[in-house]
Amino acid sequence: MNAHGKSGLMWLAVSLMIVLALVLSACAPAATPAPSQPTQAPAQPTPAPEAKVFATWYQFDQENTDPASDEAVGNAWLRENMAKFNEAFAGKYKWVNTPKAWDKMDAELIAAVQAGGEVPDIIQITDFKIPMHAKNGSLQDLRAWAEAQPWYAGMDPQALKTCTGPDGGLYCIPFAEIPYVVFVWADLFPNDYPKTIDQFLTEAERLKGEGRYIMTYFGSTDKGGSGATRGVWTVISSFGGTYDDGKGNMLLNTPENIAAIEFLRTLTVKGYVPEVTFAGGFQEEEAFKDSSAASIPTALFGYRYLRPLTAPDGTKYETMTEQDMLKAIEDGKVVLRPFAAPEGKKPSGGLSARGVGIPKGAKNREAAEAFINWVLTHSDIAADYALRGESGLPVLFAAYDQPQFQGKLHQQAKAVVQASALRSWRGSLERTAEAQMIIMNAVYKLVKEDVTADIPTVLKQAEDEYNAGK
Amino acid sequence: MVRTLSLSPKTWRSIFLNGFMVTFLLVAMLPIFLTIIISFKSHKDIIRKPPVIFPCDTPASAFDLRACRWSVEGYERVLVPKLTNSFPLIQLTGRMFRIYIPNTLLYALSTAIGVTVMAGMAGFALSRFRFGLRRALMIAVLSITGVPLLTNLLALYQLGVTLRKTPIPFNDRAYLIFVYFGFYLPLSIWIAKGFFDTIPRDLEEAAMIDGATPLGALRHVTMPAALPGLAAIFLMTFVNVWNEFLAGYLLVTKNELKPVMFGLYEFLGPNIINFQMIAASCILIALPVVIIFQVARRYFFMAMVEGAIKG
Amino acid sequence: MIKGLTIRRKQSRTDQSLPILLLLPALIVLLVVQFFPAFYTIWLSLQERFPTGWQFVGLDNYRLLVNTSLFKESIGHTIVFLVGYIVLTLSLGFVLASILNTRLRLSGFYLALLFIPWTLADILVGMVFRLLVYPDYGILSGILGNPALFPPKGLSVLTAARPAPLFGSFPFPPAPAMVYLILASSWRALPFITLLLLASLQTISQEIIESARIDGANTWGIARHITIPLIFPTLVVALFNLILTGVNSVGMVFSLTAGGPGTATFVMSYLLYNLGWERLRFGQAAALAVMMALVNWALIGGTMRVTRVDERTA
Repeated sequence: MNAHGKSGLMWLAVSLMIVLALVLSACAPAATPAPSQPTQAPAQPTPAPEAKVFATWYQFDQENTDPASDEAVGNAWLRENMAKFNEAFAGKYKWVNTPKAWDKMDAELIAAVQAGGEVPDIIQITDFKIPMHAKNGSLQDLRAWAEAQPWYAGMDPQALKTCTGPDGGLYCIPFAEIPYVVFVWADLFPNDYPKTIDQFLTEAERLKGEGRYIMTYFGSTDKGGSGATRGVWTVISSFGGTYDDGKGNMLLNTPENIAAIEFLRTLTVKGYVPEVTFAGGFQEEEAFKDSSAASIPTALFGYRYLRPLTAPDGTKYETMTEQDMLKAIEDGKVVLRPFAAPEGKKPSGGLSARGVGIPKGAKNREAAEAFINWVLTHSDIAADYALRGESGLPVLFAAYDQPQFQGKLHQQAKAVVQASALRSWRGSLERTAEAQMIIMNAVYKLVKEDVTADIPTVLKQAEDEYNAGK
Repeated sequence: MVRTLSLSPKTWRSIFLNGFMVTFLLVAMLPIFLTIIISFKSHKDIIRKPPVIFPCDTPASAFDLRACRWSVEGYERVLVPKLTNSFPLIQLTGRMFRIYIPNTLLYALSTAIGVTVMAGMAGFALSRFRFGLRRALMIAVLSITGVPLLTNLLALYQLGVTLRKTPIPFNDRAYLIFVYFGFYLPLSIWIAKGFFDTIPRDLEEAAMIDGATPLGALRHVTMPAALPGLAAIFLMTFVNVWNEFLAGYLLVTKNELKPVMFGLYEFLGPNIINFQMIAASCILIALPVVIIFQVARRYFFMAMVEGAIKG
Repeated sequence: MIKGLTIRRKQSRTDQSLPILLLLPALIVLLVVQFFPAFYTIWLSLQERFPTGWQFVGLDNYRLLVNTSLFKESIGHTIVFLVGYIVLTLSLGFVLASILNTRLRLSGFYLALLFIPWTLADILVGMVFRLLVYPDYGILSGILGNPALFPPKGLSVLTAARPAPLFGSFPFPPAPAMVYLILASSWRALPFITLLLLASLQTISQEIIESARIDGANTWGIARHITIPLIFPTLVVALFNLILTGVNSVGMVFSLTAGGPGTATFVMSYLLYNLGWERLRFGQAAALAVMMALVNWALIGGTMRVTRVDERTA
């Protein structure tokens, strides 16, 4: 009985171990067939089976056909172009896209490259992320290859420069240039949008009297401090300010920046901007949408997201698609303008190039190159990419002439570009993710949280913190 | 009539206490109640300014039950049902139900089974045997019961980074489940041991004297008695994994392998106000867990109190 | 019977190896997932990532971290959060447990309802609470924004700035968003604490309380001199449990405030996430994790002392 007792328990132990082993092994095979094949979307023809996977990361989701989805334009663009590409390269490549959150994509890529995780062959890139990628070695240098391509000479050199890392490598191929403009409800400015800061404040007081706000902007610290690259940068750069000293250090404590922040502070204190300005989650846009705020400085791509719209006179644009804004601009209800600037200064704002990069460790660089060539050797595809893929102006000169850029929206956008001295906020800063967080925290503190705090002290503290971080 | 007014102090006390509880619960349940309402609103009513609580107002009156504009738009946009010709006839094509919920089910079930088996074995060993390292092991297990996942995540993340680079085949799912094992085991071992402790050994021995084999005794006496404890461990682990966000979000690199809480978090990204979608998905995700809890409440209470007082 | 007893008394070699065998799978898992990370994190906190790989930088990460304004601030926020969270949850939990302990006829029903929040994921609770007070559109912001109720301009929970601090730069009084975060966290933790205290209260015999009442003690006197001393160990367990979950939970901050408005709800746990996975400064994040782990271990040690684990492991 004694021996039995032991062997019985032993048996139990062994059987439990087997169960455990079974459980563990059960997870493994379950894992191998990925439950979703993003390519199974009905819109795409199935390419021949030997086609090699061409993997991309976009902020769009080709499977989302919801017309009210906030990325509906990009989603549709991606869906249609995936089909086109798969047709053009049938039997050779099969485009498979994984949607990624726009504000997390770059950190995820860097993590994946360092982790040896799954990386795509193409990733959607904004130029100011380039130094961060260069520092972390997460993207391939495309200079040698790109310069040998036929389209290279036909690209805007300015945009190509923004894709250049601190070491001179070309880390992205720009497909669109996004100017930062001000969307304005025209009816609320009978004397047109103010050109100087003094006019701006006068108009602000007048609008306040009418129960409206002159402006709303991304004033929260949400989305990793992304506000520092939007309306805040429009104001600071229009005052002639910068975020850096030109040598890679952060420099915030300058007279121009202080003047700009004093201006932003005035807007808050006097109640010229609505409370939602500081709400985050893109809530600030709501104030423009219902025309309780008369203007919003943001990127040109804002036209896709600013919907539905209610004009000051009550006209409604409610298709819940990008057509709302296009129609409002067509009707002359909304106009694009440069921001106001102090006397003697040229208005400014952000300018960012958006395009694609090829990550280190990409499995199918050949397909990535074929894709870039495919876009840039077809001016219609390049134009569509700039228009619907990125909502910007094309970088490829040939695409400029395409009919879709002759509408009012783009004509006005081009006028804004000409009337102002747009530039990238990044300057010589390298750790851009950290920089925008630190800057936005400081700006928020000064403009919203503590409107009596000493501006130079807080700015100095912020720049010291960034510069100490190596 | 007069008698109703002269209630005994005890009855008054009971009325007061019940009144307090009812009021408190009404307030405490408010967020849930409001979320249900939001989930059945249409987009037009979501973006009203100022907001209305019930979508039941008409130009004529502030609240008209017949004019309520309830809508399942939110649920529709989360589930994205599409008609098909083959069997279930309807297919839920939303990411939430196609990808994230199956993933989470896999993670939660595997973790719960694994943790229950391992904790059962370990708890049994700690309860029934006296051996050299027993005390040291128990203190070690006990002391890590409270260690939160957060501070370990950095290292586990970097461990995943290193493992992916080695020639050892690496599987995101298996790794995540393994991490969940480690995270939910300590408390479970402790609970299991507690349950085995409450089963008198004499019972097994009596059964053996009555002619049962040790295995039989284990099967017919010990296991049934320990079953509620093991069930509690299983359910608790299942629910914990279902509700876990950070590890699933950070340790898994591919979107298609991420769990349901990531799917929920994804809704925060878009810049269009989609409260009805967020509310609807919150309810769809929470419902299974709330139901499990309500059905098996007794087990949970037992395990939780047991685990907390000791750990 | 005699044979059964020998199993216990005489320990043969199989008897020694069987329990180890049974424990082995759990031990392996715990070694990898719980013990290894502790040492790895310490190592990581002394390293910095360069394009070439990890390099030893000594205590640089600690120095950099301690010098950032956000670190100092986050300690203040964490303390404010903890105090609010603990006081609110413990006191409410005690009141509710005491009421439920009077065995109202509907106690079971109350418990069933009360329990729902605990079953919800923290990130989900954060989202729900965020929906309710979203500026302008949140279902409650119409009421909160009423200037008559919240003078002078109404209250916008997620954007209102924090009041001027009373003590130096210590963030007290907290911003409305912090108060709201505390409310949401307590809402979720309350059921567990109530249940814990209820279980402990139920072990006190009614006779003691009755006899004290006969001796003329009032409700407060009974609570103070009988109930609280008797459930003291459980109170401590509840307290430590609240501190541990409070210091380390990040899901709620994640979905409710994301550290904002500004940095008003930037607690240490969120800073850890932010440093590691948003700024990719893993070395500094590890330094913070080491500091937080020290706090955790001190708390766990404290709990073990109070609950006299030594007696239980026998």
